[in-house]
Amino acid sequence: MNEAGWLHKSALLVRKDLRVEARGRDTLPPMLAFAFAVTLLLAFTLPGSTRLAAPVSVPGGTVAVVDVVSGFLWITVLFAGLIGFARTFEVEREEGAIDSLLLVPLDRSGLFAAKAVANLAYIAAVQGVLLPTFALFFALDLGASWFVLVLVTILVDLGFVAVGTLFASLAAQTRSRELILPILALPALVPVFIAAVELTSDLFVGGGLDAVATRGWFGVLIAFDVVFMTIGALAFEFAID
Amino acid sequence: MIEISGLRVVFGQTIALHSVDLTIRAGVAGLFGPNGAGKSTLLRVVAGLLRPSSGHVSVGGIPVTSADETLRRRIGYSGHDSGLYQRLSVRENLELFAGLYGATSTRVDTVMQQLGIGDRAGMPVGRLSAGLKRRASVARALLHEPDVLLLDEPYANLDDEAAAMMSDAVKAWRAPGRVALIATHGAKRVKSFADAGIIVQRGRVVSYRVRMPEGEVATSS
Repeated sequence: MNEAGWLHKSALLVRKDLRVEARGRDTLPPMLAFAFAVTLLLAFTLPGSTRLAAPVSVPGGTVAVVDVVSGFLWITVLFAGLIGFARTFEVEREEGAIDSLLLVPLDRSGLFAAKAVANLAYIAAVQGVLLPTFALFFALDLGASWFVLVLVTILVDLGFVAVGTLFASLAAQTRSRELILPILALPALVPVFIAAVELTSDLFVGGGLDAVATRGWFGVLIAFDVVFMTIGALAFEFAID
Repeated sequence: MIEISGLRVVFGQTIALHSVDLTIRAGVAGLFGPNGAGKSTLLRVVAGLLRPSSGHVSVGGIPVTSADETLRRRIGYSGHDSGLYQRLSVRENLELFAGLYGATSTRVDTVMQQLGIGDRAGMPVGRLSAGLKRRASVARALLHEPDVLLLDEPYANLDDEAAAMMSDAVKAWRAPGRVALIATHGAKRVKSFADAGIIVQRGRVVSYRVRMPEGEVATSS
């Protein structure tokens, strides 16, 4: 037998997940529906035509609209992601496919990578719809900084899917996994989403790469990604078994 | 060879297996016993899918742990459920596992033919009848020509013709050094070609007989 390597086997599993999703549409539509509903609600609630740096009265003082918009953007991404990640192992739960998967001669880090990449595809698809919709509804003009937003989004997503996939594997073994996943994952995800909001707020008020790079949040994101991707790959074996 | 010593599995207050000691040499062994006897639990422990409460299991001298990739490559397991993806077709499922185990497309065709599911290759597994799912599941277990074959109720929901195909597929897989453990209620079907029979009752091995040229010999009871 000519056995394939780690990368090829992981790629086969990613393709399987995306193919199953393309046929069942169980994961992406609920994520998109949630994201769109929240965006629509916010569009009616927030002063979309106001200048982004303008202060808005809140209990206890004022806050810039831009901070609210970037906060809501990432909260929407966070909860849309958790809706999808909770279903990470649903396809394996049907007909005991998890047993077949666990017996495959592939290091558990390969299973983790495959599931994380599939989750990354789902969250990227949601963001592909969400970011332009936010830009449209809240008159965001990123100018030449859109590529910095893409970079921030990629860094946020890597950490997000690493944490989400790892905790989804733990939550999958419980009956109330949709409830357990946020309880497990949210505390771990706080740093990455604070960094996301801080960086995006800067971008929304015209800051480019130079402005956001000096604030240190990029470092936080990169460190978070490295730490949680490593933990995920190493700890997945214990979580899934 | 499968070696089991002092194997004990406890689920809460229930003892599924009581201190099982067993050595299964090459060949096909039938695992018989009533519902709840512990047959499926025993298979899952040998496959590395269930961690025993105590005791030791090794396959070919390698201790069974689910983390051992070398060992997993040598095991073919078909459990109560089909272990297949419902929304993928039979062929897509088998091609997927062939890719993961390094088996060829030709092998996929061979096992489908052996188990008589070639004409359903394009059908999603979720739409198959229970009997066809069982055949597809065993095809997946046989795909990579494992050294150790673990089948849990492979004859469930099969008609006589399909059951004969199942037996023929196992016989075709059989080779020196390979060992199969087949849990079944249909003792007659397995007895016709098995090299050994193990009877499990209430989590204990009550009989282990090996077929010898001069007749059956009880090796453990």
